[in-house]
Order: sequence, then structure tokens, then C-alpha cells
Amino acid sequence: MDASMVFAQFMSGLSRGMMLFLIASGLSLIFGVMNILNFAHATLWLVGAYFCYSFWYLMQDYGFGLWLSIILAALTLAAIGWVIEVVLIRRVYKRELPEQLLLTYALILIFGDLIKIIWGVEDKLIDRPPLVASPVFIFGMPFDSYFIFVILVGFTVAIGLWWFLKKTRYGHIVRAAVFSREMVSALGIPIPKIYTGVFALGIFLAGLAGGVQAPIGSITLGMDMAVVIQAFCVVVIGGFGSLLGTFVAAILVGEVYAFSILFWPQGALVLIFIVTACILILRPWGLFGTPTRT
Amino acid sequence: MIRYWWLGVIFLATLILPVVIGEFWIHIAVEILILALFAVSFNMIFGYMGQLSFGHAAYFGVGAYATGLLMVKTSIPLPICLAISMITAGIFALIIGYFCVRLTGIYFAILTMAFGQLMYYIIFQWYSFTGGDDGLQGIVPPDWILSATAYYYLTLVIVTAALIVIWFITESPFGYTMRAIRENAERIRFIGINVRKYMLINFAVAGMFAGLAGGLLGPFNRSIAPDLCNWHQSGVPVFMTVIGGPISFFGPIIGSVIYTFLFAFVTGFTEYWPLTIGLVIIFVVLYMPGGVMGLAKTKFKTPITKDLMVEAKGSMDTET
Repeated sequence: MDASMVFAQFMSGLSRGMMLFLIASGLSLIFGVMNILNFAHATLWLVGAYFCYSFWYLMQDYGFGLWLSIILAALTLAAIGWVIEVVLIRRVYKRELPEQLLLTYALILIFGDLIKIIWGVEDKLIDRPPLVASPVFIFGMPFDSYFIFVILVGFTVAIGLWWFLKKTRYGHIVRAAVFSREMVSALGIPIPKIYTGVFALGIFLAGLAGGVQAPIGSITLGMDMAVVIQAFCVVVIGGFGSLLGTFVAAILVGEVYAFSILFWPQGALVLIFIVTACILILRPWGLFGTPTRT
Repeated sequence: MIRYWWLGVIFLATLILPVVIGEFWIHIAVEILILALFAVSFNMIFGYMGQLSFGHAAYFGVGAYATGLLMVKTSIPLPICLAISMITAGIFALIIGYFCVRLTGIYFAILTMAFGQLMYYIIFQWYSFTGGDDGLQGIVPPDWILSATAYYYLTLVIVTAALIVIWFITESPFGYTMRAIRENAERIRFIGINVRKYMLINFAVAGMFAGLAGGLLGPFNRSIAPDLCNWHQSGVPVFMTVIGGPISFFGPIIGSVIYTFLFAFVTGFTEYWPLTIGLVIIFVVLYMPGGVMGLAKTKFKTPITKDLMVEAKGSMDTET
């Protein structure tokens, strides 16, 4: 194994990590602010991928079709997230943890079947536009050019979220709500509106991730099941509610996956679970989280 | 014990049940019994200890695989296989629980889920030992319980015995210590009780009974698949308990009856079972907090409901 192969593997791990980051960032944001663990996050990600396919199918004659579809899929999912929050999640803020978990768990089952009803059980495949159709060669190793797009989107979203949380007024409110919702609410800021916005933003990110995922391979039912647990692992390792933590952990998990494939293919996921369990036992608040939350 | 006369009536009814109902419903009844034991063992952690385990299927699966592997690869008689299932699942629960009881709340839920998925992937990928995603086929029960009715009686006896044991555990001083830990772990620590040790013992005992329930499943279905261990299966006792009501010992049993009947009924005319159960869960969570038992408690104040509530002791009222 030489340096160029290591680099190729690194890049594939990075693109995998960026995909996980796109999913986990929304999950982490929702949990950090609302204290609700959204089990259905990856299922909504898959719904995003299917929406992206449908939009692309309608616009497949145009070169910009795919790129526009990704954005439209993300916006559609933001709308779905908004509806879910207003209709369901809002009613269980004050309930106990198991009821909140069961509610989002029920969404997995419902959306899983809705996908079957709307899009059928066949796999969906998107023809990529010429720009990202053929591989590029990096140090003589072929590398899927679409993965470069995935990495770019990942970094853009990371910077965009960072800018939003650190530099804008709404970002400040959201960050304050992570620490004390009572205080924020006492300052006259309507917490339910903030929650709805955060939930919609989180699901928007899931939809964006789904749209970006759509052209990578075929879109299949049940894809979400493997991803949701990995996204949980990323959030746990990074620390709930920490953007930086999610970013670092996503890259870590992506790379662990990419490199363990070379040495011990069956063990990739097992290794990730062991790392997650160790983090939970030793530092339940994650690598970059704050230990104050319980 | 005279006030539990209606339990005797139910038991007698279950004894004559196979004479009245057809073969299909006997299968459903066996499933209800197995899943009821699974859900009651889950409720030892959830209802009595106050922690949500989202990886309880791991012990169910370990139990199923222990009996399944022993029956396929050796000729050990079934009762011993079931005992080994219990012990194996108990050991796994003891090891995993050792780490899990250090956490509470959402972290407990995620850690149990992570370990559950770990078990799932190990079973899923260890082809040479567990058969991987092909599962295990040809787990044929011995001749004396080959018919559905005979298997029903065997399951009935074992599950009833297990439920009685769990009942006595939860009504013992140990059971009351678990309730106290659920209400306020810190105070219990001040009294000088080793909270983690008690939680660990409870976790391991719950794992043992889940393993017993799993062990009963293999010979009944004649096959087992790794899906028995994954987190979807872990969701099943959570639904059952929430539908039935975690506040009562009998809640998960009622939940198992409702869930399994609903499954048999709905899958009869539609393939969209997940959609149906998803909507049912949302309805129960939003409009029936406390499940069937919670509803019975507030709406129907008969002596039997009072007995059904026997374990509640106002727990869920104080927590909200």
C-alpha cells in the first residue's frame, strides 16, 4: 500500500465523513436546542433523496436539473420538518423521554411506508450530469469526481452553520437556548417559534444531505437504517449540540470506516460502535460537548 | 391472595383456550406469551428502574441464538437449552449492563442501543458460527411438543412461571429498592445502598428473562434471523409497554395482546403494517399517556383495575 492509495482512501473517508456530517449536524442541532433525539432523521434524509430523484426526473433534460433538484429537495424537507414540529413534536415538549423517542420512532415507520406507497419498491438511479460523471485522477488514483462535490458541500455547510450560530442574532438565540430555555424565554423570545425554526433547519440539512446522496448510487429502501445509527455515533462522539464536535467526529467515523475496510472489512461498524461506547462511558458529553447537560 | 381470583380465572381460560380456537390463533397465542415475557422483562428496566433500554432485543436475540445453536448443533434437550439461554443472556446483560448503569436518561438509551447494535452486527457478520444474515434454519422441537397445541402448553407453563418469579422479584424489598432508585437515586445512595450494583442486578435479571423469551421463539418459528437483535426488535417491547402502560405489572402483557392481535389483523389485509402501527403509536403517545392501564386507572375504577394497578404506587403521577 503506497502513499497515493492511502490518499485515495483518505479522500473517500472524507467524503463519507462529510455525508455523515450533513446528517448528524441537523440531528445534533435539534437535540442540542430542543433536547429531542430525532430517530427519524435518517428516514427524512432518505425522503430527501427520493424527492431529489423526482425533481431530477422532471428536469432531466436540463444540465442544471440535478443541482436545482438538490436545493428543491432540501426546501421540501424543511417544509415537512416545519409541519412535523407544529403538528406533533410541539405536543410532547413536556413529556418524558420515552414518549418523545417513540413519537420520532413512529415517524420512521410512517415515512418508511409512505416512501413505498409514493415511489414504489424499485431502486432509483440518477444519471449524473457530465461535469461529475467521470472519475478524476489524483496522484494517478481514480477518484469519483462527485465526491469532491460532496466534500465541498460538507465544508460549505459547516462554515455556513458556524457563521449562522456565531455571527447572527438568530444564531445567538439558538445557542442561548442550548444552555437555558427558561432564560431565553424570560427575555421575551418566543421559544416555540425558535424550536420550530430549529427543527425545520435540522430537517432542511437532512434533506440537503439526502439530495447530495441521491446521485452517489442507487436510492434503495432501508438505506436509512444503517445511516441513522452511524449518525447517532457521530453525535455522541462529538458531543450533543457541538457543531465542531460533530464535524470532527464525522470525519473521524468516515476515516475509521474507510481504513478499516482495508484491513478488517466486517469490523468497520463494530469498531465504530466500540469507539462510541467508550466515549459514552468515559465522556458521556462527547469530545467537544459541555459536561453541564444531563 | 384471594383478591387475585380473576388471575386464576384468566389462567383457567388460557388452559382451555386451544380447545376453543383454531391452529392459526394458537400460533398467535404462543407469540403473545413469548412477547409478553419479553415486554415484562423490559419493563423491569423501564417501569421499575425508570431507564429506557433501547437495546433489549440483544438479550432476546442472544437467548434465541443460544437455544437455536444448541438445538441445531447438539442434541441437548430443550429445557436445558432454555436454561443455558437464560444464563448466556444474563451474562451478556451483566457485562453490557456494567457499563450502561453508569449512565441515565438519554445516554442510557443510546448506550444500550449502541451495544444492542454491536451484538446485532457481530451475529450478522459471524457467518461461520451464527449463519450470518441467512439466520439459523431447522430448529425442530422434540416430538413431544411438535404440535402447536403442545408447544402452546409448554410456553404457557414456562411464561407463567417466569412471570410469577418476576412478580415476586418486583414485590420483594429488592423490587421496592428499584422503585426508590427510579424516584430518587441520590437519596437512595445517601441511605447507603449501592445504586449501581442494584441497577446492574436488575438489568442482568431482566436480560435473563428476555433470553428465556428468545429461547422459546426459535423452536416455535423453526428458524431465527439476526433481525431479532436489531433496534427495531428493541422497539417492540417499548411499544407494548407504552400501549399497555408501564405503570402496571400487567401493562406490558396487555400491550403484547393488543400489539400481536393488531399485527395478525392488520397484516391480513394490508402490507402497510409499519404505517398502521406508527399511527397507533402517535395516537397513544398524544392522547393516551399511560397507555391502556393509564386510561383504565382514570376512567374505570373497579376493584380489578385497582388490583391491576398494584405496582403503580403513584409513580407516573409524581414524575410529570
